[in-house]
Amino acid sequence: MRKRYKWITPVTFLILPVGVYLFFVINPTLNSLFYSLTDWAGYGADFKFIGLANFQKIFTDRLFRNAIGNTAIWLALAMVVPTVGGLALAVALQGQRVVNTVYKSLFYLPICLSPVIVGIIWTWVYNPELGIVNLALKAIGLGHLTKAWLASPDTALFAVFIAWAWQQTGLNMVIFLAGLTAVPVSLVEAAHVDGANFWQSLVKIIIPMLRPATVVVLALTAINALKSFEVIWVTTKGGPFNRSDTLAVFMYSESFRKYKMGYGSAVAVILFIMTLVIIVLYFRQMAAMEDLYE
Amino acid sequence: MSNTIARTRRRPVRWYRLLSVASLFFVLTVLAIGFILPVYGVVVTSLKTVADVSFGGYWNPPANPTLENYVRVAGPGSDNLLPYLWNSFKVTVPASIISICLGVLAGYGLAKYNFPGNSALFVFLVAGMFLPPQIALIPIFRLMNDIGLYDTLWAVIVVHSAFGIPICTLVMRNFFQTVPDALREAAFIDGANEYQIFAIIMLPLTLPALAVLATLQFTWIWNDFLWPFILTQHATSRTIMVGIVNLTGQYGVDWGGQAAGSIVGSLPTLFIFVFFQRYFIRGLTLGAVKG
Repeated sequence: MRKRYKWITPVTFLILPVGVYLFFVINPTLNSLFYSLTDWAGYGADFKFIGLANFQKIFTDRLFRNAIGNTAIWLALAMVVPTVGGLALAVALQGQRVVNTVYKSLFYLPICLSPVIVGIIWTWVYNPELGIVNLALKAIGLGHLTKAWLASPDTALFAVFIAWAWQQTGLNMVIFLAGLTAVPVSLVEAAHVDGANFWQSLVKIIIPMLRPATVVVLALTAINALKSFEVIWVTTKGGPFNRSDTLAVFMYSESFRKYKMGYGSAVAVILFIMTLVIIVLYFRQMAAMEDLYE
Repeated sequence: MSNTIARTRRRPVRWYRLLSVASLFFVLTVLAIGFILPVYGVVVTSLKTVADVSFGGYWNPPANPTLENYVRVAGPGSDNLLPYLWNSFKVTVPASIISICLGVLAGYGLAKYNFPGNSALFVFLVAGMFLPPQIALIPIFRLMNDIGLYDTLWAVIVVHSAFGIPICTLVMRNFFQTVPDALREAAFIDGANEYQIFAIIMLPLTLPALAVLATLQFTWIWNDFLWPFILTQHATSRTIMVGIVNLTGQYGVDWGGQAAGSIVGSLPTLFIFVFFQRYFIRGLTLGAVKG
């Protein structure tokens, strides 16, 4: 790197992007922290500074506790279903054979759809009369199990989750596939020659070597899970009886439907802190791996 | 693997291998069909009349395939989705270009000048990628009201331009780091100044990285729902995803129309999926932190 340059030169390159970023990304983020300490309604200019009252209220709010419970279930499922699914698909479909390429494209197709479209599509999948789920159950003689999946309190959250995971699985598969290209084929073949079966080489070689990809997948999936809004909004709007109401949806409805923007900001701050925990864990893992590999 | 020892050791398990490959193939095929079934349902329904849906159901192939749903929701002269599609283009194209330009500037400044605090600034800029949009929702809603951009396409353009900076900076900084400094040195000796080097030597080299970012940014911004949902109100400033959700509420039982609308709204990103998949995947795995 050339050391001699005027100090003004990098500034001319950086001032515009950094300025826009500070004003439209960092400034609103800090403002949310401020609003979370007020009782602003969302319209008008007058609001009071009420300290931590919103946060005190949060922990006695039945609806908030419901939303955080749903978010916890959603997050726990997200750490398992689309990650294990993505890994399994990546291991099964790695390589350049034509069949594999076609299958990869199929599993990857949902990524390029808007979550809005995903929601609409799955609304039909779950439709009580015409949806494929109930039709299939009837066809195999399990007609008594049919139900309105998105409208039943017991199944709504899980039904929406599957729609969301449908998209996330393909994304995770793509990342695992990229990670697998770093696993030398010769290593797996050498293990095979030494008598290792598929499961042994998977557990002893492939999965340990996929650690960087796994860290990325877990962090990305967790963050996407926390902020996912569209699929839930389009399918159930958090219902029935708030049974699929996650923090992201709760934050929206408190702020923009009930016009409690101070309170909504406090919910957003909680969501932000949860994301922050994931980011810190992610960066620590990354740093640990750099020590490991360099 | 051509040595004889390996070959003789493998032979006894060959039937077993064949069976396991066949069963893996079978399982994958069933999975793939299940995976793609929802998409199949949308495609066939978009080709059916209302009567056809109520008579033959949702999942059967259309008895008399028709394009009337497409003509109705997005054909010439239709006021259902066509204006929203146009709005989405008016948002997505400028916002993609602006965010990429800002990322090119920041990426170049960070990759080629080793000033104090360089890596801290890099982490600071890229960290924005992890922010949940919810944390900025209310203040940006207020800000756009205050500066008079609420309910205009500009509000959405500005937000996406700014929130695209982290990913664009990450990709461009990593890209510029791979460009050898000898190229700069040579140009300096030939008498070029910093900005000439940037514009004449460096920018033309960025094409592959720009292609990666263009596919990523176009897809995210086109598919986004939350920001235009929050920042716009009237039909004149609605983007396609907000328009489709609105249409869904409006025509509760018009499944053919909803299906056709969903497909039309996905065509631009499907186009990227088909023709620029290589760049898009490279972007997904490179900046794998954004979803």
